[in-house]
Amino acid sequence: MTDTLPQIRQPGVDEAAERLLTTQAPQRRLSSPAFSIEIDGRTLTGRAGQTILEVCRDNGIEVPTLCYEPKLPGFGACRMCVVEVDGEDAPPISCSRAAEPDMVVRTQTPRLRQIRQTNLELIFSDHNAYCLPPCQNKCPSHIDIPGFLKANTEGDFTESARIFKRTIPFPSILGRVCPAPCEEHCRRDEVEEAIAIRDSHRYAGDQVLKAQAAGARPPRPFDQQPATGRRVAVIGSGPAGMSAAYYLALDGHAVTVFERDPEPGGMLRYGIPQYRLPKVEVLEAEYEAVWDLGVRLVVDAELGRDFTVDDLQNEGYDAVLVAIGCYDTNELGIPGEDADGVIDGLEYLRIATLGLPYPGHAGTRVVVIGGGFTSMDCSRTSIRQGCSEVTLVYRRDMKDMPAANEVHEMLEEGARAIFQASPTRILTDPAGKVTGVEFQRMALGEPDASGRRRPEPMAGTEFVIDCDRVLLAIGQAPDLGWLGRGADGVRASSRGRLEADAVTFGTGRAGVFGTGDVRTGAATVVEAVAEGRRASYAIDAWLQGQDLEAIRTRQILAEPQPEFLSIVPYTAEVKEPRIRLRAMAPEERNRSYVEYEIPYTQTEAMRESARCLQCTCEAIGYCDLRRQGIEYGTTLRSLEPSRTGLSSRSVAENRFTGTNHDYIRDDSHAFILREPSRCIDCGRCANVCKEVVGAACYDFMRTGFDTLVTTPLDMSLNTTPCVSCGRCAETCPTGALMPKPRVLEKYEVDESRCILCGICVDACPYDALRCGPDFELAHDSREEPMIDLLAISAMDRDTEISYVRRERDWLARAQADGRDVPRQRLLPMLPASLAGNGAAHGRQREGAARSAGPGPTHAHHR
Amino acid sequence: MCRRAARHERAGSSVSLPILPAAREWPSVLLATAAAESQEAAVPAEAWEAYRHAVRSLTPDAVISLISESGLRGRGGGGFSTGAKWRHCASQPVQQRTIVANGFEADPGAQVDRTLMESAPHAVVEGVAIAAWAVRADSAVIVVRASATTAASRLREVIAAAEAQGTIGPEASETGRPLRIEVRQLAGSFVVGEETVLLRALEGRRAEPDQRPPYPSERGLWDTPTVVNNVKTLAAVPWIVRHGAGAFASLGDREAPGTTLLQLGGAVRRPGIVEAPLSATIREVLDGPGGFVQGKLKAVLVGGPTGGFLPADALDTPLGYGALAEAGALAGSGTLLALDTSTCLVDLASLMTRYLGDQACGKTIPCRIGTRRLAELGGAMCSGHVRPGDRGLIGDLASDIRDAALCRLEAGAPNPLISGMRHFAAEFDEHIERGRCPAGVCQPIALAAVAR
Repeated sequence: MTDTLPQIRQPGVDEAAERLLTTQAPQRRLSSPAFSIEIDGRTLTGRAGQTILEVCRDNGIEVPTLCYEPKLPGFGACRMCVVEVDGEDAPPISCSRAAEPDMVVRTQTPRLRQIRQTNLELIFSDHNAYCLPPCQNKCPSHIDIPGFLKANTEGDFTESARIFKRTIPFPSILGRVCPAPCEEHCRRDEVEEAIAIRDSHRYAGDQVLKAQAAGARPPRPFDQQPATGRRVAVIGSGPAGMSAAYYLALDGHAVTVFERDPEPGGMLRYGIPQYRLPKVEVLEAEYEAVWDLGVRLVVDAELGRDFTVDDLQNEGYDAVLVAIGCYDTNELGIPGEDADGVIDGLEYLRIATLGLPYPGHAGTRVVVIGGGFTSMDCSRTSIRQGCSEVTLVYRRDMKDMPAANEVHEMLEEGARAIFQASPTRILTDPAGKVTGVEFQRMALGEPDASGRRRPEPMAGTEFVIDCDRVLLAIGQAPDLGWLGRGADGVRASSRGRLEADAVTFGTGRAGVFGTGDVRTGAATVVEAVAEGRRASYAIDAWLQGQDLEAIRTRQILAEPQPEFLSIVPYTAEVKEPRIRLRAMAPEERNRSYVEYEIPYTQTEAMRESARCLQCTCEAIGYCDLRRQGIEYGTTLRSLEPSRTGLSSRSVAENRFTGTNHDYIRDDSHAFILREPSRCIDCGRCANVCKEVVGAACYDFMRTGFDTLVTTPLDMSLNTTPCVSCGRCAETCPTGALMPKPRVLEKYEVDESRCILCGICVDACPYDALRCGPDFELAHDSREEPMIDLLAISAMDRDTEISYVRRERDWLARAQADGRDVPRQRLLPMLPASLAGNGAAHGRQREGAARSAGPGPTHAHHR
Repeated sequence: MCRRAARHERAGSSVSLPILPAAREWPSVLLATAAAESQEAAVPAEAWEAYRHAVRSLTPDAVISLISESGLRGRGGGGFSTGAKWRHCASQPVQQRTIVANGFEADPGAQVDRTLMESAPHAVVEGVAIAAWAVRADSAVIVVRASATTAASRLREVIAAAEAQGTIGPEASETGRPLRIEVRQLAGSFVVGEETVLLRALEGRRAEPDQRPPYPSERGLWDTPTVVNNVKTLAAVPWIVRHGAGAFASLGDREAPGTTLLQLGGAVRRPGIVEAPLSATIREVLDGPGGFVQGKLKAVLVGGPTGGFLPADALDTPLGYGALAEAGALAGSGTLLALDTSTCLVDLASLMTRYLGDQACGKTIPCRIGTRRLAELGGAMCSGHVRPGDRGLIGDLASDIRDAALCRLEAGAPNPLISGMRHFAAEFDEHIERGRCPAGVCQPIALAAVAR
């Protein structure tokens, strides 16, 4: 009897895909008559009994749908799959409309896109849930904030830093200099106060630096890839360049960083004072992580002076990344600007940040003009250098200052500030030395493009401030003098910056890229770091020979920033106020270059992180709603900072707002998590549970706007005839029904009691069991958690990983058939170190012991 | 809410409305036998004459041709040719077919169908029987609202008598053709009046529409080909068989021959039901039988919540399908609600939209969320919290809802606001731009004005 047992085969990837194909493809007789049908200008073959949607799917044409379940007839609830048919006024929905011979169908027209977009906007106006939490959305680099805070809570600060380093290599540096846009949008603010996100990663980063000082190697977010043999030159060792170097090195490229100054760091070293960012203890220590990956540094080498882009390419660098920042201080354009005593703020800081006294500065009266971080650094350093009177003058209101949150600290330390005034001329004595500055009062007019009110001069309001020195800090532009020397093809933009694409970072010249301030204009450190990282992805893809235009699409998919609703008030009973960093007294710190903020203790760090509400959605990566929301422009399209002009929409621009539902999460069931607030009432779970499984746990409840697909009487899933098959979670297009993360030991099948009913085969959501010519039990081991469960367990939630359903849906089918996959359907770009995980699915343990006794050999027919 | 309109709506649902005398020149088709039936349990002389004639001397195909020639069109609002519908159903290659007579009458306050079934039950039942003969159906269902108990019992009496006589029934000795007619009383929301929803409700499922095509005449009740006709449509059938297609076709408008039943309500002197030819204008109906308006007429709501508002100067629009649709209204349920100057159109349109959103089944996204958003946008106008661009947004949303609509409720849900904005732009402007309600109905605005 045993020799009739089927051979156990090791299914390869192709076979697994094929198996999915055979079990999931819509059932139809291949003998049904074929006819030709025109869809999107292509002539295709349809078969009698097929719907338009089925014909499209068979031919790799994607028609968006949220409620279509391939095993069941079209339901027609989402109205996303509308198509236009020639000769018909109203667009039919393709999931329910039979394909007919000689039909002419269009699946993408402006009208259809408009209908789909309206549908999505309507869903989002009642979708009381988040993809990424608002803090992560607002971070220019999209750090997994809930992720590292969770690690902090558990006291695992190395893991916390590792999570942080997936998107920013420098937790300690950013923990000191970041303006923390994330904290402004923290949902905890609805309860009492936002989480101290910046101070929390500062603590984690500092623990890593401490361990590093004791001899440990810096933690890495991903394994370093084997050497690719490609060489990349990064010009500039500031935050953008070093961030790019870090991720390029992780991808296995040989990176050399060129630095004009004698020490690396760029603005971090020469623009930010010691008291905010200690150079040796933090900057150099954290840069160690980059050198640790094998990145080489060449100092005292300036682009255009010591070498040119031509030189680098001739030397055999496969890619050159220009990240030289902005160092040319803008001019005021007023009389007397060249007087003795008018100093470029950056020139001043270059000396002063290192703690060295600027010549002749002590005892003078200083006026600082500008409202950015540089002006703040100039003022506060001037106080520390013993100036008798420091006055900061800014032309807009205080709340419009980029560095507004630092003003009160500056005032505490003894500086003055005057707002809404703009200089008109600089007064000098006959020797040409500054004696004062004349200002004019500004009124605030209509808001300008930045959303701030435009200052307008008020005639007759001139006044003079007497002073000895004027520090100019009114913004910087990049120095592009090198463009004329050995850099043919690289151009400046109309705004005097380096012309480079916002997604591919390509300049006009092949192999030359530009990123950071030199491309965007002066920005914050965190924006520069984000720029550098994204540039590294683009360069890596380019070095692999991929099409840069395809990257643009993939970048949009890989790093979307969907925001759906304004923040829904979160009102917990427990109040637990934010733990603030203590600081040295103002009168003490204004004499000192020592870092003035006193870091958390470990207990404080853990307690503060524990306040995080963990807003992330577990369905990220395989949520159809999110995917279509991105595709149809109903969400923010990219993570670009607004100045890049790529972030096209925001939540406030959803045309529809109004009442929305907030349902209670049901986690009473052992295997299935229900989050009804994420439900879009597509009815898939109800239909599958009723028609396929036969359990009928879900149905539509209530009518009109309050309709909800839920359990009878909205009770716990435990009160239903649920068989825990997971089909509902599998079919759910959003995160409303989720398999709970869990680790199973192993399922034993008692074959002596099996009646070959096949119910387990029907019910198994992952096709672990199947009916063949002989009833075969798959001997999968579940000692290790399955890969998708692992991913769902929030370990990798900032990456986009595709699972069973997407495979099943059509990508795998298309690829298995050798069909062309449209570019926009390619999976999001993954860091190479994570991309390999998918192969683990469907693995069968080698030599799995078959259970004792002969297995069943009856042919089993359904 | 317009108080006056509300009162009439409420009054309509609880008290039977009188049948008003029609203009002398107007023909009587649907209510032709009503006078005889008004005496309790009296059987009109013509009862079952048409059915016997059809069964004995006409083939099913001949009946369908007769109905096609007569030009009879659906009175439920869609206006689809009845003959074509029957022919499509009859051509389906299956044994079993079904007739469903839709007397559910979902409109709040409407009792046109109910009045018809109460006063001329023979016409309805006979129409159903002839339809069944024509498409070779052996079972039929007449759907009546659960609250219309008199109508249901009269229909049942007629059916029982005919079965006893052997005219219809499982063993119809008289015609030799079995036919089972059942009266079903259903309760449910507005959307149940929609044909596919009605079928699902009859099957005992959740009242949700299905995508068409396939139309019910191909796959309907219990998946059998089903003719779903309004009871007003079917009640005209015996008359056509008796008098011939030509006689019917010559009644009234050539495009839309025949008569329909209308319910006059709101600011008219004599609220009630009247039978009028489709060629008659709204003014003729309101002026004559309605006894015209109390106060100054401002608008007429034609066809219930999914219909549309017509301004006072468009009253010369005939009731026929094309002209009315052009003017932005739908005959729908057959109700004409006259509104005088004490009504605020913004308020009433928002209320209608909100009502429709609440009565929807919640299956499709544009209907479930979109109608609520429409109602909220309308509500914002009434409360003075309107945002710039809201007017354009209503238009955009309405057209997207209509284009992707699954059922007639969904397609009609934007009608009140859209027709209101079309014909009463000035009143909407007053609300949006000046925060004033000319009718003095929208209270929050008035209060805000006092506070200022």
